[in-house]
Amino acid sequence: MDPYITGLGIVALMGAAATIAGAAEDLESDTGSMSNPNSQVQLAPQMGNLHRIFNKAISGEPVQMGTLAGIAGSVAFVLIGSVHLPVIMSIAAGGFIAALFHTAFATTSYLGRITGQSQFHQPVFLDVITSHLGPIAGHGFIVTFSIVGLSYLMTLPVTGFNHPFPLPLLAVLWGITIGAIGSSTGDVHYGGEREYQTYPFGGGIPVRIHGDITTMAELGARNSLDVVHFCAKYGGPVTGFCFGTIVFFSFWTTVVFGAAGGIVASLVIILAIIIINNRIEVFARDRYGPYLE
Amino acid sequence: MMDPLLLIGAITVGGVLIGGGVHFIPVGGAPAAIATATGVGTGTAMLAAGGGMTGLITAAALTGQPLWLILAGGAVGSSIMLGITMLVGNLVYVWGVGCVPASAKIEFDPITKYEQSKFVTPGTEGHGIPTVCFVSGIIGGALGGIGGGLIYWALYQGLSTLPGYQASISAVSGVSIGAATVAAIFAVGIFFVNAVIASYNIGGTIEGFHDPKFKRLPRGALACIVASFATGLIAILLLNGGVF
Repeated sequence: MDPYITGLGIVALMGAAATIAGAAEDLESDTGSMSNPNSQVQLAPQMGNLHRIFNKAISGEPVQMGTLAGIAGSVAFVLIGSVHLPVIMSIAAGGFIAALFHTAFATTSYLGRITGQSQFHQPVFLDVITSHLGPIAGHGFIVTFSIVGLSYLMTLPVTGFNHPFPLPLLAVLWGITIGAIGSSTGDVHYGGEREYQTYPFGGGIPVRIHGDITTMAELGARNSLDVVHFCAKYGGPVTGFCFGTIVFFSFWTTVVFGAAGGIVASLVIILAIIIINNRIEVFARDRYGPYLE
Repeated sequence: MMDPLLLIGAITVGGVLIGGGVHFIPVGGAPAAIATATGVGTGTAMLAAGGGMTGLITAAALTGQPLWLILAGGAVGSSIMLGITMLVGNLVYVWGVGCVPASAKIEFDPITKYEQSKFVTPGTEGHGIPTVCFVSGIIGGALGGIGGGLIYWALYQGLSTLPGYQASISAVSGVSIGAATVAAIFAVGIFFVNAVIASYNIGGTIEGFHDPKFKRLPRGALACIVASFATGLIAILLLNGGVF
């Protein structure tokens, strides 16, 4: 088969896997209240707002995802190379082992973080642990499976790929990257909107209301499953779009235009996203208008 | 055998480029994640590392090509990652949170001349990523990518000539897998060292080259020179199998 066509097919598959991984990563961090918005969940009991939201932000999201993807990638690498299991089964087994680690990590970090707030009368809810662990591990599994899958595709002996890094290292590097992306994009939807839904839509969060997070759901007390139900409609998909586009453009340019031509094409893409960003800014200024006249 | 001084020099220059680049990247930390401060809503070192890792992957994909291509590959890979992340971040700020990208630290955007203060939510320090922050972030990403690519290139050149690493040369690509792996792990380490030093220097948050904190750049660059020089010495140990 023409290696050019094969290359384009691999890039498309990688982009698809990255899109799924990105969406699942953001939703995982929303289910576990993982990233920067968790500062408000941490602050809430001190402000008198007791809650039933999960809390496992004991490390940065990139570090957590780098570790999980690294575990999954390493197990898959051994199963493919030494045990000679089929690739898909090996990657799934790697993701499963990473999910086991992930649940242990989530349980201990929830208990540690919440019991540390007992002086503010924040109770530990055991049903929150049991109801949230499944979705946390499930979303984490989708992320590690997709990340190791796209890393494996990068190492295939096809022109434009055949990456010199071994599978576990690529998985760690992409894991760190996807954590940084999820933390930068989709989590803002959780922190800037869902956490403060009792306040009117259409503005930043003033410092005076920090910690006054929304603790009641449509019915009863809000937990992180209610959060993820909301963020899955916007924050998660755009995070997936972001990571998918990055992975796609990182390789599409070299596959189509070659090494030097790919650099030029990438520069054109960078220029285009600067212009698109400016158009979005102008749209927001025109549509929303100023706060103070 | 690679000239040890060239290796130390490349690692020092690369480290300063990474540390300097981090000063350009607009990060607002936890306040930005809840739309209380301008910039990307994550930590400095974490975002810089995310961009740097993408740059490293794209630079390493060009292993064996001329140096300028590897550096350019790292620069565009890192810039694309940061650019798309900032763009999608703005999508969430504008349509998810409903606020206008604006900065409270400047009256007018130096690039577009748009007025800022009227669009900042009262009680916040701004939100979103206005054009000046965006362009600054792209520059920072490019610098970080070049720095990471330079360190990776120097280490790969040094390691791949050693007999132990020649055993792992791929029959398909002619690249030593072992040398590429060790060079990448070391480059990631140096990347984190310099990103964290820069993060301390700017106190965790910065909006870009227009931010008053950007004036701290010389001090941060000096610290990165010292730290990178020290890691360069350790890299010599790596080449010589543990002895000077």
